[in-house]
Amino acid sequence: MTTTARPQATEPTLPDQEELIRRLLSDTPLLADTPDHLLQVVNVLESYGLVLDAYSCNLVHQGKTQLLNPFPVFRFFHEGFTPKRLWEHLMGDRINFEYAEYCQKAMFWHGTGGMDAYFDSEPFQDVCRRVIALRSKRDPLLRLVNTLYPGFAPEAIRSMTTIYALGLFWRVMSDIFIDLARRYRIGEVACVLDVVHHIRDGLVTAAGNPITYEVMVGGESVWVLPPEAGLTFLVDVAVPYVEAVFFRGMPFLGTVSYNAQARQIAADQSLFKYGALYADPLPSMGAGIPPSLCMSDMYRNLPEELSRWYDHHGRAQSDAHVQICISFQKSMFCVTNAAIAGTMPNPLDAQDPEQQAANYAYAFAWSERLMGCQRGALL
Amino acid sequence: MLTILLLIPFLGALLICVLPGVDSSDNSASVGRSRTFTLVTLAVQCLLSFGLLIPFSAVEPGQQLVEILPWLPQMGLEFSLGVDGLSLPLVLMNGVLCLVAAAASRSVENRPRVYFALLLVISGAVNGAFLAQNLLLFFLFYELELIPLWLLIAIWGGANRAYASTKFLIVTAVSGVLILAAFLGIALVTGSVDFGIRPILTTQMGLTSQLVLMTCLLIGFGIKIPLFPFHTWLPDAHTEASTPVSVLLAGVLLKLGTYGLLRFCLGLFPEAWSVAAPWLAGWAAVSVLYGSLAAIAQTDMKRMVAYSSVGHMGYVLLAAAAATPLALIGALFQMVSHGLISAVLFLAVGVVYERTGTRDLNVLRGLLNPQRGLPLTGTLMIIGVMASAGIPGMAGFISEFLVFKGSFEMFPVATLLSMVGSGLTAVYFLLLVNRAFFGRLAVAPGANQNPKILNQVPFAQQIPALSMSLLILLLGVVPNLLVGLSQPATAQLSELATLVQPGGL
Repeated sequence: MTTTARPQATEPTLPDQEELIRRLLSDTPLLADTPDHLLQVVNVLESYGLVLDAYSCNLVHQGKTQLLNPFPVFRFFHEGFTPKRLWEHLMGDRINFEYAEYCQKAMFWHGTGGMDAYFDSEPFQDVCRRVIALRSKRDPLLRLVNTLYPGFAPEAIRSMTTIYALGLFWRVMSDIFIDLARRYRIGEVACVLDVVHHIRDGLVTAAGNPITYEVMVGGESVWVLPPEAGLTFLVDVAVPYVEAVFFRGMPFLGTVSYNAQARQIAADQSLFKYGALYADPLPSMGAGIPPSLCMSDMYRNLPEELSRWYDHHGRAQSDAHVQICISFQKSMFCVTNAAIAGTMPNPLDAQDPEQQAANYAYAFAWSERLMGCQRGALL
Repeated sequence: MLTILLLIPFLGALLICVLPGVDSSDNSASVGRSRTFTLVTLAVQCLLSFGLLIPFSAVEPGQQLVEILPWLPQMGLEFSLGVDGLSLPLVLMNGVLCLVAAAASRSVENRPRVYFALLLVISGAVNGAFLAQNLLLFFLFYELELIPLWLLIAIWGGANRAYASTKFLIVTAVSGVLILAAFLGIALVTGSVDFGIRPILTTQMGLTSQLVLMTCLLIGFGIKIPLFPFHTWLPDAHTEASTPVSVLLAGVLLKLGTYGLLRFCLGLFPEAWSVAAPWLAGWAAVSVLYGSLAAIAQTDMKRMVAYSSVGHMGYVLLAAAAATPLALIGALFQMVSHGLISAVLFLAVGVVYERTGTRDLNVLRGLLNPQRGLPLTGTLMIIGVMASAGIPGMAGFISEFLVFKGSFEMFPVATLLSMVGSGLTAVYFLLLVNRAFFGRLAVAPGANQNPKILNQVPFAQQIPALSMSLLILLLGVVPNLLVGLSQPATAQLSELATLVQPGGL
């Protein structure tokens, strides 16, 4: 008589580099395709979409009204200033627009992509000179500051341009995420792969959208980012955003501290690994994600389905912020997955060996970076 | 009134065993009823203890509210109770900590009625020992608390409870034998069967006899306190005892030793005490340093706290050796503050062990995590650690300051060495806090994945430690609450020891 050993439930293991490449090249999602992941990702992206809508409106408003404003203390009141709104703002009963500014600063600081290259071009210097001249007519403080520190005002214009561009980027992403939730509710999105495809298609559709910035200064209209600069949505804003916020990040956010003098921080900015995909969501917001802000905003807009799911996981509502952070990181892997798929050099089903080799090299390069991320989130 | 203080817990213990209403076929209901009954009994006892403050005169140094009932006059045994500024704070602390221990006894699955009855017996016996005005009566109560404590460790203790409880019983029984021998020796040498606590009796003895008898008492109480090298039973007992028993053990039962040191060694043999004082100061310094260094080497949170007791009880011996009025006030303050602080520390360690299943400092990390860790427990632990390290504004600072200030003029070297021990307290407790509570939350070394979800601790479960923390802060800010109560008594005790000369250690 023989006995058959009962199959042992095996612990899921972290995907290695080969597995990551395989998934990228075989149109398999990086995130394990499970019903729980689908529920978390879609719902957390819906809440994120609602938050991004508010962030986007505010950033666009700032771009339109706050350029070279030396004291932009009311920049978060894009819906108008009232004592009630001020009270809500002071009491924290509001969207935390500061998080949007953190992301903008990361993007601005790392400065990758075509927009950053344009900032260093002569046409942009001309635009800056014109904006400063127009504004200085009615602003003696700016005139003085610009005389003393000629680099100050152009830098402020660059920063505000990034704010505006991020607002435009998030407008698109917000719509993609809200639409994703709509399609999920009517059954058109039924697995994690569908989520990745939805985001990829949204990014590709918007890929060529021009990124322009026109603003009224001193009664005149000025194109800070003119159409002829040729900046587009995917390459010049979306990819730099992913690079800055998802991967590189900044080592000075969250509760994990780094000692630069002890060489804990790479001297080369391109080697930074403090972005959302590297963040440890557990110890009250590690590097890269300050969930006290972003997670609070999402918590206020959490869909009922996800809220109920959290009730039965972790410590239920009492650690909902951590659970949101964990779900959010999973969803950011999906967005990264979609961005990689959307920028793949050749179609995945290409038969030409050269095209296949190019795709492999592209996937390999991404897998190198993904290896250092929180791959545990993919399980 | 003092007799009632003893009757309440003893009657409570009897009732909890015999009353049918307390028992139940449903174990959890039985635990709940027994616990509630015990809590009510101990709350009444605690209230009555604080009620003593009304008739008690804080300016009177001698025994007050004395109650005498002849028992066995042929043997010199009489039921004689009294309270003074030395015993009253300890009676109050016994009332509070027994209540805390009962409140912390939430998960007694095995024979809950016996468990709670034993708690009540301990409470009554300790009160009896503190209030006894007869040497034999003190000895009876001193021995009476051993049996329930032994049972509490042997039945409700950890995996190695048989070893720890047996060691505890044997070693502390030796302590009892030595104390009884010393008491009987007094009768033998003086030829009197008057076992009242009267220093005048011992003045009739020669110095050698005094020294021999006092040494017996010193070793007996040194085991109980415990002082190096008689401390070996304590870490084992603490490690295997449940949290409430550890609270009682550190908070109340060790104080029987230090109380005995002041009341009987210093109080009965002032002349011999003055001769031995420099050696005792040296012994105190060694005990302080040994306890502190041993604590640094521990990786079990509970053993670390246990060894800290060895060190911190050394301060009491140092102050007693110096026997200045300030030092003796410091000794009493140290007894009370150590009782409260160790209660907080053991309660916090108990919660950590209950939630994580380990006390290993090589395993625990990041428990202060606000959302998935044990933040309130961590906060209470840090408060306890700060108080134990003598941070100003807390009871530990007042007691250590009084001890060091009061002892320095008599034994500067021993005092300085003890101050080093105080610094070492910060070292080992910071190691504890840093390892277990800071960093990334984990309950396994090098854990990379999210750890198992630690269940939240209900706020009600934290109330005992929270209350003790508030008391620590209160005594740290308003030390006169205690000092004013005890100053006349400790001053009188100090007058007995005027023969102690500065010098030596």
